[in-house]
Amino acid sequence: MSHSGAFRERLFGAWVEIRENLGRSVLQAIGVLLGVASVLGGFSISDSQRKRSDEMFVKMGGLDKLNVQPKSAIRDGRPTALQQANLGLRDADAVGGEALKSEAIQGVSRQMFTRSRVASVYADQDRQVRGIGGDYIPTNGYGIAKGRGFSNSEMETGASVVILGTEAANTFFPKGDAVGQTLRIGDIPVTVIGTFQERVFRFRENQGNQFWWRNRIIAVPANLVQRRMKGDAYRRVDQVTFRIPDLSVMSGFAQQLKNLLKTNHRLQEDFRLDDVAARVRRRQSQGDVYDIIFLLSGVLALVGGGIVNVNIQMAGLKERVREVGVKMAIGASGREIFKGFMTEALLLTALGGFVGLFLGVGFSWIITHSIGIPLYMTPASFLWAYGLAAAFGFLFALYPAWKASRLSPMEALRYE
Amino acid sequence: MNPIIETQALTKVYGANGAAVHALRGIDLTVDKGEFVALIGPSGSGKSTLMAILGCLDLPTAGTYTLDGRQVQGLSGGELARIRNEKVGFVFQSYNLLPKASIVRNVELPMLYAGVGRKERRERALALLEKVGIADKADKLPATLSGGQKQRVAVARALANEPALLLADEPTGALDSKTGAEVLDLFRELHQQGHTLLLVTHDPSIAALAERRVEIRDGLIAMADEAEPGAHPAEHPVRVGR
Repeated sequence: MSHSGAFRERLFGAWVEIRENLGRSVLQAIGVLLGVASVLGGFSISDSQRKRSDEMFVKMGGLDKLNVQPKSAIRDGRPTALQQANLGLRDADAVGGEALKSEAIQGVSRQMFTRSRVASVYADQDRQVRGIGGDYIPTNGYGIAKGRGFSNSEMETGASVVILGTEAANTFFPKGDAVGQTLRIGDIPVTVIGTFQERVFRFRENQGNQFWWRNRIIAVPANLVQRRMKGDAYRRVDQVTFRIPDLSVMSGFAQQLKNLLKTNHRLQEDFRLDDVAARVRRRQSQGDVYDIIFLLSGVLALVGGGIVNVNIQMAGLKERVREVGVKMAIGASGREIFKGFMTEALLLTALGGFVGLFLGVGFSWIITHSIGIPLYMTPASFLWAYGLAAAFGFLFALYPAWKASRLSPMEALRYE
Repeated sequence: MNPIIETQALTKVYGANGAAVHALRGIDLTVDKGEFVALIGPSGSGKSTLMAILGCLDLPTAGTYTLDGRQVQGLSGGELARIRNEKVGFVFQSYNLLPKASIVRNVELPMLYAGVGRKERRERALALLEKVGIADKADKLPATLSGGQKQRVAVARALANEPALLLADEPTGALDSKTGAEVLDLFRELHQQGHTLLLVTHDPSIAALAERRVEIRDGLIAMADEAEPGAHPAEHPVRVGR
């Protein structure tokens, strides 16, 4: 058929028809337009939100972490003998855990926290001191701004060195460079060997810095806390973090680790596993629900528009019975008439949908802008919005086109 | 002889049983190639029904109809459309041009349905418009044309696929006598060029232009007369009674 340009002619005819009945065509296109805009807008807003939370997790230092924290095994009443005899989370757990899947684990970090009096020449405050081990700094998204990080031997020996967050550095050393100065943590003088880069993250533009507390960090080697500030013979720790880049290994590892720790802990579940990636997945699956809601509202808009369009087309058909009759008399088959009407409806859908995409972008921009997150749109959203409009445009065009194609040529010619 | 139209015992019944209307009660009609036949009869006589069947717009209830060697009864809607497209050219009283398409596109349309290529379509359409004498209006819309000009376009469109049969239904009914006469001249010219013409009219003076008149009354052929031998239509003065 393409050699005769029949499709081109149909398209041209459809265009003429749309132009000649501008009011009717615009009404029809609006139904499609709103549907497309609502699907695209909904998807894009939810994508933007999700993208933003992904960014947040990346800034927090990645998703591939499994945190183990101690938890009280005693809810109420007096502890049992076993509970009393239990040792809690300790170094041995970290070592044992690493042995389980040493090939998949890229890093283990033990942390030991304490509260202590922290004093410099300028300030004297009660602060939390974070004893860190292993690769805590990169896995939590910290970077060294000045000075250097802990060396292995400093980690190992629990050297008296400290790295300060920007807030801590400004508080204790408001003048001059903090690096090289001395800070007292409790009774222990420690040397500042570095400062961290400032951590800033605002989920929405106008919100406060959600990472502000990370700038308060006062980081020392975990062994320093354990040996000289708060330690015990069992080398208990406050948190162990395993880093496993291969997320498919993660859930199996979590289960094995749980069993191991339970055995180590005399069958007391006095620890808590926090699979960061799983937490993110749960968040994302909540996002999926919004996607479905947005999709549904878009589909409803398209269905509503579609039904209105069927009505408009049926009314329009009444005015065009005679035209159909003439076309049939000069040799148009029912199939040809059908194609003509379908072309018209689909062209209208295509045009309306196209405008709808712009409206959808505008829509998404206004909403994401007003809640203060960057707009993020994926090609998939455009495809979904346009594809759905095309599908519904096609479905709802079928009936009027079929009706037109079934007209009797003689009756159509005589129709007044 | 080479018959273009050949019908036997053609009947058409509308409705069913008690309410049935017998529009045609058994028409035997033969029109040969190159003939100019006028179909006359009062309204309600069944001549419109006969025209619709002869033009393949409708199917007979019973009887046989052969158009240019092709059996028509029992064909599907699509096949009928194809026959209308290839073998029949219609000229209507009310022109029935597509108002939103230019003149040349109106003429091209039957060729489009026949699958003629774009360039050839345009060339043939322009040649046909030349032939009916309104080539200069090719890009105008029908609404800008006078009645006589519209009917010329309709004739050009009817000739687009070189049909075996030209079917004109009161082609001068909406025209004043002068332009009506011009259109009839055009028909006579076409007849002289060898086209087979069937003209439906209620006007005896127009029917007089044809070689042969077939009168339909109550669904039957009431009278069929031959034009007096030797009398060529062109020798008659054209009178259009109004």
